[in-house]
Amino acid sequence: MTVSMLGGLLMSALLLWTPLALAALGGLLHRVSGVVNIGLEGQMLTGALVGAVVSGATGDWALGVLAAGAAGGLIGLLMSLCITRLGANEIIAGLGFTIVLSGLIGYLLRSVFDVSGTLRVAGLDPLPRILGLDPLFWLTIIFVPLIGWSLRNTVAGLRLRATGDGFDAANALGLPANGIRDIAGTLAGVFAGIAGSHLVLGQVGLFNENMVAGRGFIALAAFYFGRARPLPTALACLLFAVFDAAQARLQTAGVPAQLIQTLPYVVVIAVLTATAVRGVRGRVRRAG
Amino acid sequence: MSYLGGVSCEVMRTRLVPLSLVSVVALVAAGCSSETTPQAPPKKAALVIAQGGLGDESYNDLAMSGFTAATKEKGVEGQHIESSDVVAQGEQLLRRAGTSGYGLVIDLEFSHGEILPAIASSYPNVQWAFLNNKIDGPNIASVLFAEHDGSYLAGALAAMMTTQTGNPKINPDKKIGVIGGTKSVGIDKFLSGYIEGAKGVDQSVEVLTAYSDTFGDPTKGSQLAETMFQQGADIVYHVAGGTGAGVIEAAKKNNRYAIGVDDNQDKLAPGFVLTSVLKRADLAVRKVVEAYADNKFPGGQVINLGLADGAVGLTEFEFTKNEIPESVRTKVDDLKKKIISGELKVWNVIDQGYPTWLQG
Repeated sequence: MTVSMLGGLLMSALLLWTPLALAALGGLLHRVSGVVNIGLEGQMLTGALVGAVVSGATGDWALGVLAAGAAGGLIGLLMSLCITRLGANEIIAGLGFTIVLSGLIGYLLRSVFDVSGTLRVAGLDPLPRILGLDPLFWLTIIFVPLIGWSLRNTVAGLRLRATGDGFDAANALGLPANGIRDIAGTLAGVFAGIAGSHLVLGQVGLFNENMVAGRGFIALAAFYFGRARPLPTALACLLFAVFDAAQARLQTAGVPAQLIQTLPYVVVIAVLTATAVRGVRGRVRRAG
Repeated sequence: MSYLGGVSCEVMRTRLVPLSLVSVVALVAAGCSSETTPQAPPKKAALVIAQGGLGDESYNDLAMSGFTAATKEKGVEGQHIESSDVVAQGEQLLRRAGTSGYGLVIDLEFSHGEILPAIASSYPNVQWAFLNNKIDGPNIASVLFAEHDGSYLAGALAAMMTTQTGNPKINPDKKIGVIGGTKSVGIDKFLSGYIEGAKGVDQSVEVLTAYSDTFGDPTKGSQLAETMFQQGADIVYHVAGGTGAGVIEAAKKNNRYAIGVDDNQDKLAPGFVLTSVLKRADLAVRKVVEAYADNKFPGGQVINLGLADGAVGLTEFEFTKNEIPESVRTKVDDLKKKIISGELKVWNVIDQGYPTWLQG
């Protein structure tokens, strides 16, 4: 009984983890290049809609995921161009894109699809299961160490880090720093778009204009908490996912709902505080 | 410095002239209208959309459909007011509605109940209609639904169905579930009725409860429903607006049953929505708009809608009739008759507070 309950908890936590971790990894790449990406939320929503529509139209989940990634990447590139070429503030550009996209998608749903907020796509092809979990989960599992390794050991990773650590120095050394940031921004969009498609194709099976529900911002908190390192970032997402899955179960066990629903957020704040305190102590020790 | 001062003076002068003109025109217009046309202001009505917004495929969409149809039929100019933060902006939204020339404002948002009396008294020429709670005021009409009665029938049906173990969608556990959109008396009225109905049929049926804390996140709904299915529930009733779309999808995915709410949601996943607890918000809105258009607005009164009016109740089991045994359907009908006749009285959280079977 308890084993099966724990199994259920773990499975639903991993399901919730996948979109968070994917979006956070995208945001992480962008962060390493020196840009804080506030636009993940809007890119996820775009990916969710495009993934739903394309998967339904083609009857193929893989095409849905690819299209979602492409749509997210396009938005990511546009957003990055606003920041790198037009000098837009990254916070304002990110927030602006998210707000515009959610408004635009709400309008599209009403005018083009003629529904008022929830879109059920006929013939939607959900993600298949491989060893009990969907392909995007396994993809994310592979990406965590792969990104970590690439950042340390490849030329591309080195250039990305150089751009983030010393933008002017990188420029002076002849690196196309703005171009590198655009690539990172595009990749962040691709990851976020795919994360959005996971919500539709891997979890719910329909699109709703509110369905991202702040997950893009939780991803943002995750790569901050993980200090833009893949493994800690992925673990931060897991922490949130486990507590999110646990709160659903604790509620049915009679723990007051309002209290338990704040649990995932309380944990994130507690851990952020703990890491910050440790960081300050470490600095003090080094300085002393 | 002096140059700047000159500019601002210029601006002030040019702005003052049209302003005073406008006020003169307004004064004249006001004087005219009060003397020459005492009646027949243009009929304009507004509908304030509740949390979850349009697109919830239940309460809001249903009310909107009634509003659109009734305003069209009666030649009333209708406008809906939607806000992404309808709770916090409540006062602002209502005040703006009060000053925008609407003769009738229908408010669907439950949380506005506390601020409405003050606002309605500041705009005495506007007729206000409020759904789901009794609000006092000479120009406020309240519409109450007997959702607890409808939910009681759903609970009784679910409790009888969860023992039909020959049905592939039913597991051996005597457990059913219910998911509320938020912890509030307006929602717990449904939950309490559902649990009472289930326990009334079979005391040993366990009812799992959870709240999604949102009316617009189907991912959350699907997650909560999956959890309940894993814990042994086979029928999950949702009272959570757009979040419920996820509950219904989860039922379909896990080969279990969901119970819909407000609108007839049976068709959203044919065969997987056991029934829906109808709450005909469209009827309520239609009644109010018609009364307003006919100058018979029931200000200060309460309109009660229940099983007897067909404003509350279960669906016709369009897709699940073959899966529900005849005897079960008969029993549900009997209970319905008993409630209508007054022989059976279902607990109402709004009037009576919290019962022993639901934590307040």
